[in-house]
Amino acid sequence: MHAQTFFIAFFGLAAVWFGVAVFRTSSMVRSALALLFSQTAIGAMFLAMQTEFLGVLQIMMMATEMSIMAIFMVMYMMDPGGLGAMEMTHQKRFSIAAGAIGGGAALAVAVLTPWGPVVAQAPAAAQQTRALGLELLGRSMLVFETAGVTILTAMIAATAVAVRRREGKAAR
Amino acid sequence: MIHGARRGAWSGLRRLTARAQAQMLAAIVVPGPEVAAALGLDLAGAGLLPAASPRHASVLVVAGALPAQLREAAAVLYAQMMRPRAVMALGAGTLAPLPGADVVAELSQPALLDAVRRLRRAIAGGAFRRDAAGFDAPVLRSRTEYVCPMHPEVVRDEPGSCPKCGMTLVPREAQDEGGHAPDAVDASTGMEMEAGRGGGESAYTCPMHPEVVRDEPGSCPKCGMTLVPREAQDEGGHAPDAVDASTGMEMEAGRGGGESAYTCPMHPEVVRDEPGSCPKCGMTLVPRAAAAKDAPEAGHAADAASEAAGGRHAPMDPSGAEHSAAAHTGMDHGAMDHVAGHSTFMSMVAVTRDLPRSPDGLPMDWIEVPFGPLFPGLPGGLSLVLTLDGDTVAGAAAQAPVAAAAAAVADAGGRGLPAAEFARRLGAMDPLAPVAYRLLARRALECAAGVEPDSRGARARAGAAERERLASHLAWLAVFLGRLGLEVHARRSWGLAASMRGADAARIAGLAAAVRVLVRGVRRTPLLETRLAGIGRLAADGRLRGPVARAAGVAADGRVGDPVYGALGFEPVTRPDGDARARLAVRLDEIEQSLRLVRAAGVLDDSGVPGIGAASGTGEALVETPRGGARLAVSVERGRVTAARLDTPSTVLLERIGSLVAQCELGDALTAVASLDLSPWEVVA
Amino acid sequence: MTTVAVLAALLAGAYAVAVLEAWARTGRMRPGGPLFAAAALIGRESFVPRKPDRLFFEAAPVLLLVAAVLAAAVLPWAPGLVIVDLATGALFVNAAFAYVLVALIMAGWGPDGAYAMVGGWRFLGQLIGYSMLIVMPITAVAMRAESLVTTVIVDSQAGVWNIVYQPLGFVLFFIAAMALAFLPPFDLPTAPGELAGGVEAEYAGRRLAVLRLARALLVVAVALATTVFYLGGWRGPWLPPWAWTGLKTLAVAAAMFALGGRLPRVREAHFLAWCWKLGIPLALLNIFVVGLLVLAVP
Repeated sequence: MHAQTFFIAFFGLAAVWFGVAVFRTSSMVRSALALLFSQTAIGAMFLAMQTEFLGVLQIMMMATEMSIMAIFMVMYMMDPGGLGAMEMTHQKRFSIAAGAIGGGAALAVAVLTPWGPVVAQAPAAAQQTRALGLELLGRSMLVFETAGVTILTAMIAATAVAVRRREGKAAR
Repeated sequence: MIHGARRGAWSGLRRLTARAQAQMLAAIVVPGPEVAAALGLDLAGAGLLPAASPRHASVLVVAGALPAQLREAAAVLYAQMMRPRAVMALGAGTLAPLPGADVVAELSQPALLDAVRRLRRAIAGGAFRRDAAGFDAPVLRSRTEYVCPMHPEVVRDEPGSCPKCGMTLVPREAQDEGGHAPDAVDASTGMEMEAGRGGGESAYTCPMHPEVVRDEPGSCPKCGMTLVPREAQDEGGHAPDAVDASTGMEMEAGRGGGESAYTCPMHPEVVRDEPGSCPKCGMTLVPRAAAAKDAPEAGHAADAASEAAGGRHAPMDPSGAEHSAAAHTGMDHGAMDHVAGHSTFMSMVAVTRDLPRSPDGLPMDWIEVPFGPLFPGLPGGLSLVLTLDGDTVAGAAAQAPVAAAAAAVADAGGRGLPAAEFARRLGAMDPLAPVAYRLLARRALECAAGVEPDSRGARARAGAAERERLASHLAWLAVFLGRLGLEVHARRSWGLAASMRGADAARIAGLAAAVRVLVRGVRRTPLLETRLAGIGRLAADGRLRGPVARAAGVAADGRVGDPVYGALGFEPVTRPDGDARARLAVRLDEIEQSLRLVRAAGVLDDSGVPGIGAASGTGEALVETPRGGARLAVSVERGRVTAARLDTPSTVLLERIGSLVAQCELGDALTAVASLDLSPWEVVA
Repeated sequence: MTTVAVLAALLAGAYAVAVLEAWARTGRMRPGGPLFAAAALIGRESFVPRKPDRLFFEAAPVLLLVAAVLAAAVLPWAPGLVIVDLATGALFVNAAFAYVLVALIMAGWGPDGAYAMVGGWRFLGQLIGYSMLIVMPITAVAMRAESLVTTVIVDSQAGVWNIVYQPLGFVLFFIAAMALAFLPPFDLPTAPGELAGGVEAEYAGRRLAVLRLARALLVVAVALATTVFYLGGWRGPWLPPWAWTGLKTLAVAAAMFALGGRLPRVREAHFLAWCWKLGIPLALLNIFVVGLLVLAVP
């Protein structure tokens, strides 16, 4: 139990530390990878909280996602190398306010929600995976499928829009 | 190995590693493996492993005499190599600014084998020395350049302001020199370094934390590593582990002196006395050039040599372009100001609106990347600077720094060279095709003198020219397959190309079976055709010649209509597509064809000098070199050449590179250039 | 004890893989080669480029090493001979392999050199192609085993190995695994002759030694994963289970090297086109067929 608390705290602090690093650096790539390792630390927190499937899934998805984000940042942002010591923050007042409100809300949820009695022993990892699968293919299936198909539609639509515009340009 | 050894005393572990290094010799060849093969050297056969980058190489092999420009490039290459490193000179004359060769041998395969043996002994016994000296050369330190902090692509030799944004240019090398000046030991030129040592001033510093400087030996308070004498760091072409701190803008921003002015990289009109952020766009202000001079960088260990070795001027330079170079190319400040005027938040759409845009419509940062003149995978002596838009080539500048040789030959005639000497010089011009150019000189001279060549001699010379074509095509095949990753075939091809030198008809007949197996193997390689289809398409026009033209469906061949070749049963080979795949197919066919022609010719001999006596007149000749028809017009007066005009196939190819690689993916662009088989030596400016 | 044994097995595998790789590149089998190469690299100068992202530059080889070892940590060599038998082992392998990409991007960005940077970003493009072909065939494997536990996956192949049960999945996974380990012909991030070593270009001496070791371990990890998922893992007659795993893993690695030496390096555009237009539909078909088989043949 103590070990668990320690690891949760450790990875939690790591996540926060990497999160801070996102804005403390002047390099786009460092910023993106700091975000990646922040998310990885959250995945490790899941693992420490005995939710193995979610933890591993988080660790896996973030590596690819954040790397792809990094290349988009490098492609489209000026000064990707940080030569000009570019600041990673802007619209500071708004950001601070949004951050404070968001953090407060999260804390409020954490503190005010009646979580009920603490479960002494989480079900075994294999059991959790099975339960998660049944949930995804049962009650929650409609929600997930709707979301998935919507995203797919959006992706296809975006591609279609981009392609048509380029052909139009070539025709001109 | 005074410049090549690592500084230090011998220990058991070091003896072991020195012996291991003597076994694992990774070589980088100057001017290029294709020249080595043309000179009859099979490096892989001698046990030298290929090195992908100079950082991984331990031997610099110099094959044949190098022109001055390439010697400088080779010196930078040498500076980029990691110690222990050695120079092996095979039939090379002057090496300076390269250090003296550690092993010298003549140009032949047996001599190479012996030289490799001696080199192994030299490395096993000399990888570490206490008195190892740094390597320094003018080419490594004379680069003080001025660069715009915002537009890294703006590089000038003199101070001034940036033509794009008006900011004062910042000296790049001078920064370091200024920073190190107070410390004699740490100065950047070799002389001052010696002076520092003579004075007995020894400073000890941490290999990891250059800011830690002590008067006495000891260990680093930050990491506990043993402090090393300061001069030891500065010894070489690159300071080991010491080139730690960056010399860039971040450092300046942190340490700028009191009198610095700070300005916004985007808004030059914003100037403040103190660091901070720009009121218009929120970016951190950077110090202006004034700050650069005063930046106290004492203890920051990096020397001019390492700067140049890692810098953008290095010809084969893995760190050639910097991330800084990836920043905004050609941004227009008018547009920026307009946007920033009513918003403190930078819209990327607005910021990138005036960036140069590739046809795919994506505004991206462009970087310039140098390839060559000594880039493994491109012909040695070809210098290619690609502007990369992502991994797409947005533009290319190709040069042949060794082309001076061709020009020298072309106007040598003006000084009235004796005919035999003229033929010798033309033959020495292109190390990749000496026979063809000797033959060209001979034909032109004979034409000018009105001498009829004897048919037996002409047949033997045609045989020798075909042998050279065979060797040349095989060497090209080796380079080309190597860069496609087909290393097994490439290695066999290198061996065959090298053994073609000086081979007689019987020997070639003996090698024919192996050559045919190789050609068949390449033809049967799965996916190779798909890989190459559509790359480097060049439409045939009147100026293209040689295999490149024949791969585009034009039977442009100097051998057509030549009675000697007619008697040998020659038919030109053509393919319709004009891409890299067709070029490979044409050359494979021509390898087999040359084998047949050599057999039909029976004798191979191009010795002897053109005997034209004291004749006068003008003559012209066309010879099909391995790269296409070369034309030579000469005027001869009483046995001396008074005027000569040379036209070579590679000259046309060099002009085409720009359009050939535009908008190609980087790998495709390099494949396209390699598929041309361009010889930079024969380019006529 | 188990951990030590598995790590020793991994190192031995890396050694054998290095011998195999040298054989594929030079055509000569030198059993002592890797020892010489390692001793030589350790004695050579190592170097940090002029304006590096020092953190990335130093961390990348280590991260690659860690990713390879973590992936191998959930793969069993024999019953009981596995570092962690996770309940989500098959998924965890994917997660660990995803950090190969992160390591290569860091190695590409770190040295502040164009060749390395292009090499690093190229691998990201490559990932867009191969990643689905790693995940989807493993999905079909897990479907047959009805578990993500790697030891259960081996046990599920007691009758018929997956290479027979789902040959399509095997072919796709094998190719994607080669691309993941950036073996030729998918060696776009290193590309000798094209990028002067790419992400490896600026590494030398001991740092290069770590990078090469990490790469060899990565090849062992993907070969071991192929063995566990498709070749019945430790199953086989006469020999002890760990020997079978070792032999099969080396055979897979040798097949990868032999195939790579005979094919020209792919073009990034072709690779993406093949993966998405051909590979993914086939992987979906594979899942469908395996689903039918699982339902029809209990």
